[in-house]
Amino acid sequence: MKQFKTIFNFELKNYFINKAFVGITVFLMLLIAAVMFFPRIAAVFDSGEQTGSADDRAVMLVSADTKETAELAREVFSSAFADYEVLVADNKEEIKQSVSDGIAECGFALDGLTSYTYFVDNLSMHDENTYAADAVLQNLYQLKEMTAKGVSPEQAEDILSVEISHETESLGKDQFKNFFYTYIMIFALYMVILLYGQMVATNVASEKSSRAMELLVTSAKPTAMMFGKVIASCLAGLIQLVCVFGSAFLFYNLNKSYWSDNMIIDSIFGIPLDLLLFMLLFFVLGFFIYAFMYGAVGSTVSKLEDINTAVMPITMLFIIAFIVVMVSMSSGNVDAPIMVICSFVPFTSPMAMFTRIAMSTVPIYQIVISVLVLIGSVVGVGVLSARIYRVGVLLYGTSPKIGSVLKAVFKA
Amino acid sequence: MLLELRNIYKSFGEKEVLKGISFSTEGGKAFGLLGRNGAGKTTTIRILMNVFPANGGEVLIDGKPIDYSKVGIGYLPEERGLYPKKKISEQLVFFAQLKGMNRTDAVKAVDYWLNRLNMTEYRDKRLDTLSKGNQQKIQLVTAVAHNPDIVILDEPFSGLDPVNAMLLEEVVKEEIGKGKILLFSSHQMNYIEEFCDSIAILNGGKAAVCGELREIKRSYRRDKLTVSSPQRELILNDPDFSAKYLDGGELLITLSSPEEKNPVMRRLTEKYDIDGIKVFEPSLNDIFVEYAGERE
Repeated sequence: MKQFKTIFNFELKNYFINKAFVGITVFLMLLIAAVMFFPRIAAVFDSGEQTGSADDRAVMLVSADTKETAELAREVFSSAFADYEVLVADNKEEIKQSVSDGIAECGFALDGLTSYTYFVDNLSMHDENTYAADAVLQNLYQLKEMTAKGVSPEQAEDILSVEISHETESLGKDQFKNFFYTYIMIFALYMVILLYGQMVATNVASEKSSRAMELLVTSAKPTAMMFGKVIASCLAGLIQLVCVFGSAFLFYNLNKSYWSDNMIIDSIFGIPLDLLLFMLLFFVLGFFIYAFMYGAVGSTVSKLEDINTAVMPITMLFIIAFIVVMVSMSSGNVDAPIMVICSFVPFTSPMAMFTRIAMSTVPIYQIVISVLVLIGSVVGVGVLSARIYRVGVLLYGTSPKIGSVLKAVFKA
Repeated sequence: MLLELRNIYKSFGEKEVLKGISFSTEGGKAFGLLGRNGAGKTTTIRILMNVFPANGGEVLIDGKPIDYSKVGIGYLPEERGLYPKKKISEQLVFFAQLKGMNRTDAVKAVDYWLNRLNMTEYRDKRLDTLSKGNQQKIQLVTAVAHNPDIVILDEPFSGLDPVNAMLLEEVVKEEIGKGKILLFSSHQMNYIEEFCDSIAILNGGKAAVCGELREIKRSYRRDKLTVSSPQRELILNDPDFSAKYLDGGELLITLSSPEEKNPVMRRLTEKYDIDGIKVFEPSLNDIFVEYAGERE
């Protein structure tokens, strides 16, 4: 225990005197401060001047068979596309020419009211002009046909513009609201575990390559060394997270009024406390299980250059878990069978179970089982890692095969 | 304090490294653990330090199994290495604490030893800014700072200049004087001869020879004579004696058996003008080559 404390203090101090660690933390805090203060600063600059002249809008051209139709289209398109200055063109060719010359950004060559060709230079992924045009033209066509069938224009307008009102009441979780902070937290979990896990591995490997290990193994128990290192780096990671998220929270509250109309930011800071506690629990357990594995692998390499290839399987496992969770999150179906399975497998459960808790309603017994399995695995992996470490640190030369290390572990 | 290793066996996988090593030594004495590269010295030391357990045999202190919480061991590994990027005092205190000292005592001990080794000026420097010899002196502090009962020094003199080597000799003598058990492992036989009362030469996983150095030398086959004579050339060419030159101008005559000693001496003095003649006493180097040379 005394050795553990000595190692823990030593390792933790190393993080705090590490310029890169302190630098990155301060940089992230400053970055967040800059983002959080941005609307306030922007408001100061904006207050003096009005938005610029009306006609730096992009040009959209329309053409049709008849002049009347073209004029009608221009009118409705003008109101439908407020971002564009809509002008009438003579024919298809003129639109084509203007768009490819860059005079106009896009153009619609109507062929009656029910069909058109849309011209645009580079079709952007987010170009939704055709959807809007479809709706506008459909409306126009319906209106025209209805008036032709004897309905008065006013009546037709009323019928077509009827609005349906609705309300949603989510009895479980509101996925849309929870999506953003779950996303941020999963990402934070991913980044921190990957970064610090690699750091633990590098730390062990560099002790070995500098041969400080010769002295360490004869001075301290491998369990004390392993646990001291991993717990110190876990705490360092947590402190870094608290600094970053804490400063975000602080700066957000200082600028709350400027962010009031931003739903995403609002949702992020509206994270409930119980979810934060779950985050903490899964962070710590997930961190431990991966950091132990990283440490064990770090102990089997003799040269720092070999560390990247050696930790690859663990990193892959973790990335796969991350991708599964991210895909399920984006699809909205966080209770898909694969997620349910993942939320019980110890290597994926920190992220998978947390996502399910955040975005869906998970029965308590499932949470309890998942956490218990995870705790058991952390202890198991921890003990096994310490044993691999004990064998691994004395192996020099080419990186040993997993099989031979495990054989040595169980024989020792 | 009496340290005993009894019948230590150790194998890694299929490879048997130690096949029943036994030796003993006591406080106030220095013991030399010798052997060629790969003979199992480091493995023996690691078993003694409880880095891994032996497959058989036991390590005893005063006849009882060693209690690592009570017996302090200091170790200077052959593969030197500390944290290159860290402040010297900081890592020395860390290692002393790992060995069970509290922080205040550790700081005091580290300061004492840095001063003793004339290294105080480097106290707050990073290790990698020091020369190799000075790094070695820093490493020595990790072996002695926590005032261990057993001090194990693996090649302690390699890389030291003569002045530093002398300083280390003084320190080693001091530690022996304090009643500690010193365990040397080295290939520099002159140092072993200077310090060690007893030795063990490992070969093929066993102690090929073990005991007091004086006894070992005395029990060495007495079948060689050293002769000094003004008529060296004549003796050298005399087919009656199988003689060869030794360093220092003396001749070494090998006898066909130890019983030949007196007759050969008599014949030599009758035939030639002899200044001096005595039974050849081997150096540790000769003993080492003899016992460690051939593998089983």
